[in-house]
Amino acid sequence: MALLLTLTLLLPLAGGVFISCFGERVAKPIPVVVSCAAVIASFLTCLGAFSAAGEGLRVVLFSWLKSGSFQADVGLHFDPLAAIMALMVTGVASLIHLYAAGYMHDDPDQSRFFALLNLFVFAMLAIVLADNLLLMFLGWEGVGFCSYGLIGFWYRKTENANAGRKAFIVTRIGDLFFTVAVLWLFKLFGTLSIETINARAGELGLVTVTILGLLLLLGACGKSAQLPLMTWLADAMAGPTPVSALIHAATMVTAGVYLLSRLFPLVSLSPVAMGAIAIVGVVTALYAASCAVGQREIKRVLAYSTMSQVGYMFMAVGVGSVSAAMFHLLTHAFFKSLLFMGAGCIINLAGHENDIHLMGGMRKRSKPVFLLFMAGLICLAGFPLSGGFFSKDQILATAFAHGDPFHLAIYAVGILTAAITSFYSFRLAYLVFAGDYRGEEQGHAPSGLMIWPLVPLALFGLAGGLINLPHLFGGHSWLADWLGQGEEEFHLSVHSEYLLIATAIAVFLIGLILAHLRYRRFREPAERVVGRFLLSGWYFDGLYERILVRPFLYLCRFVWVGGEQGVVEGIVYGFGRTFTHWGKLLRLMTNGRISTYLQGFVWGLLVIIGWFLLRSVA
Amino acid sequence: MIVPMGHLLILATILFLLGLACVIAWRNLIMILIGIEVMLNAVCLTLVGASAYWQRIDGQIMVIFMMAMTSAEVSISLAMVVYLQRRKNSIDIRDFDEMRG
Repeated sequence: MALLLTLTLLLPLAGGVFISCFGERVAKPIPVVVSCAAVIASFLTCLGAFSAAGEGLRVVLFSWLKSGSFQADVGLHFDPLAAIMALMVTGVASLIHLYAAGYMHDDPDQSRFFALLNLFVFAMLAIVLADNLLLMFLGWEGVGFCSYGLIGFWYRKTENANAGRKAFIVTRIGDLFFTVAVLWLFKLFGTLSIETINARAGELGLVTVTILGLLLLLGACGKSAQLPLMTWLADAMAGPTPVSALIHAATMVTAGVYLLSRLFPLVSLSPVAMGAIAIVGVVTALYAASCAVGQREIKRVLAYSTMSQVGYMFMAVGVGSVSAAMFHLLTHAFFKSLLFMGAGCIINLAGHENDIHLMGGMRKRSKPVFLLFMAGLICLAGFPLSGGFFSKDQILATAFAHGDPFHLAIYAVGILTAAITSFYSFRLAYLVFAGDYRGEEQGHAPSGLMIWPLVPLALFGLAGGLINLPHLFGGHSWLADWLGQGEEEFHLSVHSEYLLIATAIAVFLIGLILAHLRYRRFREPAERVVGRFLLSGWYFDGLYERILVRPFLYLCRFVWVGGEQGVVEGIVYGFGRTFTHWGKLLRLMTNGRISTYLQGFVWGLLVIIGWFLLRSVA
Repeated sequence: MIVPMGHLLILATILFLLGLACVIAWRNLIMILIGIEVMLNAVCLTLVGASAYWQRIDGQIMVIFMMAMTSAEVSISLAMVVYLQRRKNSIDIRDFDEMRG
């Protein structure tokens, strides 16, 4: 078991290293094959080790850092939470690798792409399996780097490179808070082991725990694109579609949720931090859903929807249900990677056109893509009995079950967001699939390698509810039991449970009907203030540009012109100029005329004579 | 010794200073050479005077050597003056300041 677990982590690393070193020298299909094989093998070994997770499996590979009392091992901890997450990461990554093999088939830089993709899987697994925060942090930065490299994969276009840089820098801001939290935890406990920290969290004072919780929340916000660090995710869509599916939908953006779930025993001690997590989640969910309504590019719609769904997961953690968060994380990973890969197929069908106003009629072009994409969309919209329906419902029910006004308000915003989600999902569906084709480009059909990996994802997405089917529907809440949370879940009367489900179905229908009325026939939307407001994501980019980027640039200019050019160069050049000036003056003495030199002799003679005279007088 | 040593030294000093002033002030190369000769002769005068004062022969021997040296120096210097005159058609010292810094 230990061997299998180690292989799970190391196979993608080996694949990534092999491709980076030799990818350019071997024949063309080899990097692709190696990369897919590494990830699929990693999935299989993870599946093999899965049964050991129940008791918790611990593997220490070697001691990474050791200094005095400080010790950080490269150690893996395979408990139920890590197991379910690792299985999802490797599983979804395997399918996306296969899809990418089709999607990137003609790209000349294939080996770089697959090397980064494999390294990403390794770094993500390091986050998931790490038994101490330092190794987790290594993975945390690793996924950030791979994300940067993959968003800017087509770096010859400046805006792609800029999007990569933006993603890296904005997430780094969050990472800073995470770093502070990690260092502080080390100072408090003298260890970075996650288990020890969780076990001893009760020893801390309330204020300390609250600040730690908020620091971790900000760290998670950066990676998971939550308010206020969410501006990078929409731009990150500049990357290739498989990257969007893997990193910016299924895995990396959920790392923040995973971090909070991992340290849940610590975070949950502070009601303030929990409230903050819930508020961040629910506000981001609402904000991103409203932005998704106004977007024109298919991938940006999905990006904002990802942000919104991750907001739901934060909300689940904030209302105290890790199992609901993980449940939504899993179903979301399935249907959102499905949607992104479907969007990749649709963009191919539309001849590399991203704008949904220039699509339409895609249903006639490719039936399988239509069916698969719709499967993802109804999960997203919360179609009754689909995976997304159950997971979203569980989050909302948990919030509702608390009963106090704060949680009821969160529930209310959550249900409003669900209505908007349903609306924008079907807006997307109508704009893309209904009516006649409005564009001019002649697309080409996606290859089989791009269709088949979507099928299992669609099945998992639709049937995802089964892994945590509530008792009401005759299920056993397997996931909650597996995570060891079965007992402490909410208790609601059967009556109110039915009421909640009825409400969820009602908001789904409201969204569907509104979208049907508005978008059944395509009308070119008028340019309006609200539309522009939503399209630009509430002008947050402009706001940050004004209050952060520009002052920073002014500061830089000040330091450059005032500090560097004024003070430092002033001093250095001042010295230089002074000595040059004196040198020029001294040069005048050697004017090449003997008489001048002789004058020097005479003056010297006079001085000497004067000296002797003075001496003889004294 | 008929002439007092003090007078002799004063005369030698005046001669030396005149020669020095000549060297510093004139721009004509030949006049500068003459100034140098005057300064040398002031020194010779001092040596002869000192030789007589102390009743020792070394100073006079030295003056004989200096005469020989001076005649050699003058012949070389004048040859160089001729050469410089040919080169720049001038013996003004200001035209020969290529060695300035």
